Amino acid sequence: MTILIGYLPTPEGEAALDAGIAEGQLRGENIVILNSPRKGAPVDAALASAEQVNELLRRAEVAGVLATIRQPGHTDDLTDEFIDVADEIDATLIVIGLRRRSQVGKFILGSHAQRILLQADRPVLAVKAQEKS
Amino acid sequence: MDFLAPVINGFGVVLEPTNLLYCLIGVLIGMLIGVLPGLGPAATIAILLPLTYGVEPVTAIIMLSGIFYGAQYGGTITSVLLRLPGEASSVVTVFDGYALARQGKAGTALGIAAIGSFFGGTVSIIGLTLLAPVVAGFALDFGPPEYTALAMLGILLVATVSNGSKVKSIIAASLGLLLATVGRDTFTGETRFTFDNLSLADGLDFVPIAMGIFGLGEILYNLEERHNKVQAPAKVANVWPSAKDLKDSSAAVGRGSVLGFFLGILPGGGATIASLAAYAMEKKRAKNPERFGRGAVEGIAAPESANNAAATSSFIPLLTLGIPANATMAIIFGALLIQGVTPGPQLVQNDPELFWGVVNSMYIGNILLLIMSIPLVGIFVKILRVRAAILAPITVLITLIGVYTINNSLFDIWLVIAFGVLGYLMKKFGFEPGPLVLAFVLGSLLEENLRRSLLLFGGDPSGFVGRPISAVLLLVFLVVMLLPLLQKAFKKTRATAPAVTALHDEKERV
Amino acid sequence: MIFASHEGVSSGGSVKHPAAGNGSFPATLDELPQPLTPEQLAAEWDEEQPPHAGPLANVAAAVTSAALGIAGLAMSVAMGLGTPAKPEPGLWPFIISLVMVAMSVALLAFGRRKLDAEAFSSSSWQVAAGVGTLVGFVLVVGVAGFEIPALLLTFIWLRFLGKETWRMSVLLSFAVTAAFYLIFVVALNVPIPHLF
Repeated sequence: MTILIGYLPTPEGEAALDAGIAEGQLRGENIVILNSPRKGAPVDAALASAEQVNELLRRAEVAGVLATIRQPGHTDDLTDEFIDVADEIDATLIVIGLRRRSQVGKFILGSHAQRILLQADRPVLAVKAQEKS
Repeated sequence: MDFLAPVINGFGVVLEPTNLLYCLIGVLIGMLIGVLPGLGPAATIAILLPLTYGVEPVTAIIMLSGIFYGAQYGGTITSVLLRLPGEASSVVTVFDGYALARQGKAGTALGIAAIGSFFGGTVSIIGLTLLAPVVAGFALDFGPPEYTALAMLGILLVATVSNGSKVKSIIAASLGLLLATVGRDTFTGETRFTFDNLSLADGLDFVPIAMGIFGLGEILYNLEERHNKVQAPAKVANVWPSAKDLKDSSAAVGRGSVLGFFLGILPGGGATIASLAAYAMEKKRAKNPERFGRGAVEGIAAPESANNAAATSSFIPLLTLGIPANATMAIIFGALLIQGVTPGPQLVQNDPELFWGVVNSMYIGNILLLIMSIPLVGIFVKILRVRAAILAPITVLITLIGVYTINNSLFDIWLVIAFGVLGYLMKKFGFEPGPLVLAFVLGSLLEENLRRSLLLFGGDPSGFVGRPISAVLLLVFLVVMLLPLLQKAFKKTRATAPAVTALHDEKERV
Repeated sequence: MIFASHEGVSSGGSVKHPAAGNGSFPATLDELPQPLTPEQLAAEWDEEQPPHAGPLANVAAAVTSAALGIAGLAMSVAMGLGTPAKPEPGLWPFIISLVMVAMSVALLAFGRRKLDAEAFSSSSWQVAAGVGTLVGFVLVVGVAGFEIPALLLTFIWLRFLGKETWRMSVLLSFAVTAAFYLIFVVALNVPIPHLF
């Protein structure tokens, strides 16, 4: 009984993590955090550093949720990677963060969130970043 | 004083706006490719050779040399921040540099590295300024036999002292020498190895070969999947080196600079060996060597000074004797030949503006690098996020279109592709491309001088031994050639860390 | 239980950081910076490289260079060797070819144990494909100008060799070709064959 959370070091990723931890608490389930950078460059901002990883796990512990983190690199398609991991752990829920993008932006750059929403065969919880007041 | 006049004139040449601009471009590009893994200074200089056709020789060499020593600065940045050496000569900086970065002192490491690099480079240039005219003056008496011996020794040293299997390097060098014979024989006019192909009748051009073997070869090699780790972006906390850090590293800087200067002059030596040797030396003479690997400033200061000093001093054999000390110098040698300048002892006298212009540009270049290296760190780390897959087709197109612009010849592009495949295969099979290019560049000179010498001696090879200088050089040649056998015979176990040389083997890229 | 945290990410693998179960949490989560030893780093980098080729690689290389050397010898003799006093064109290539053959024999004899070649892997086909595109480029550029082959080459390299998305590949290939056009044709006025 596991929840899969897609994480990036961005406000959307943080929102997804918070929501995912909350769900884990509610349902009494474990969480798997997936933080997958794109391979091919020496540096990728999507990858959480060691300090950040420690922080994420600490937050899960504080909430009393059992957490593991995976950081495989992907070359081709993040969506496929995501769905594969979800199938592997038989996730009961997928939690992802949504970015606000204009229609044009979504067209040009594509949207993994959109594809995950459409392709996943299990419930998906899509959250937005906290509004900055 | 009379001998200072050309030096001062040289500064006048450097301070011309065009030359200053090209110096800036050169060091910027150099730093950039030092940071980016994949392309090294040799490959970049080769790819940018077509750019040198439209400008003055001085300007061209100022830019190309800027790329070379600029890359030494750039490689440090990734070593410190990401534990990923951008260049082979920055490998040892990883140990203490990254350790400092993990302690939140990345700025300290980068600062010490920049200052050390600056001093290393500057000390080396001063050494160059004093030593070069002396060597050139001495070499003016060289005749064909001395040149033959010197060229042979240079090729042998680069083949044996550099990384990888010596046997393979000698095979690569022989191939280079053979390629140099393609075309018309200058003495008899007969065509050799042309297979009745008109395009080959004039011989193989140096530029497509260099661009192919170094440039395209490296791009093709990088296409294969190498499981390189991805890193999270590193933050540079601006902790500058403290006065204590600077004081502690000053002695290391001095030692590293001097060691680097001498190791760079030796053909086959160079920045990588200098950085390794300087690190080993510091560790050996330190009172508590356990500090090394945990953030000892000497562990950064010494190798960084050494590699910049060596990069600069490796110009000496080229500019004074006309013998390139490593593969990159061979490419610059070729660039000079394209411009109609034949490097050699007469260069200092016949074209002092070129000589001193290039040498003095290094002072300016080092100052520019020192000023720019710290502020630009943030930008360079951002550039590291660009995926290699995007850079690859761009560099390929630059190479293919670039070579076309030289002679408007499609045959040149075919040559680049052919030699690119050769360069790729060589790297795959463990052959160093450097000795091949070096031998090619020296090949026709070597043969010419050999045949002239034989004519001089009336066909009697023992004439070489009769002349003191060539005899000494040939003796050194024999010693270097037989050295591995002698070493095996005596079975000396060296104290230098075998693991450090294993590390060096992993990341060799000139 | 102390976590072993990794700064980097190995390809394809995953790093699991299990938290302790049932309410007992580890005391510290931080890791002290380990001193790097050359051995550790060398081992790490060795992992990342493709596997070493077997001894066959060196044998193949030695045979190839020996063959080249022998061909060189044959052709040099055909050109005439002459004597040291009166050298003919073939003398110098003959000497070099001799060295080449000698070294190839040495490689064959002693080099088999050295594992300094890299094995060809499935991704080596990408290199072959890359070379294919280059050949295609040269064949087309003389006829149709550089824009089209450059566009196609960039697209193929991005999409198939670089595994970028279709959108990115199309956009970037147009951008790159346009940039080359602006720089080489418009700004520098370089005489490359171009369509527009």
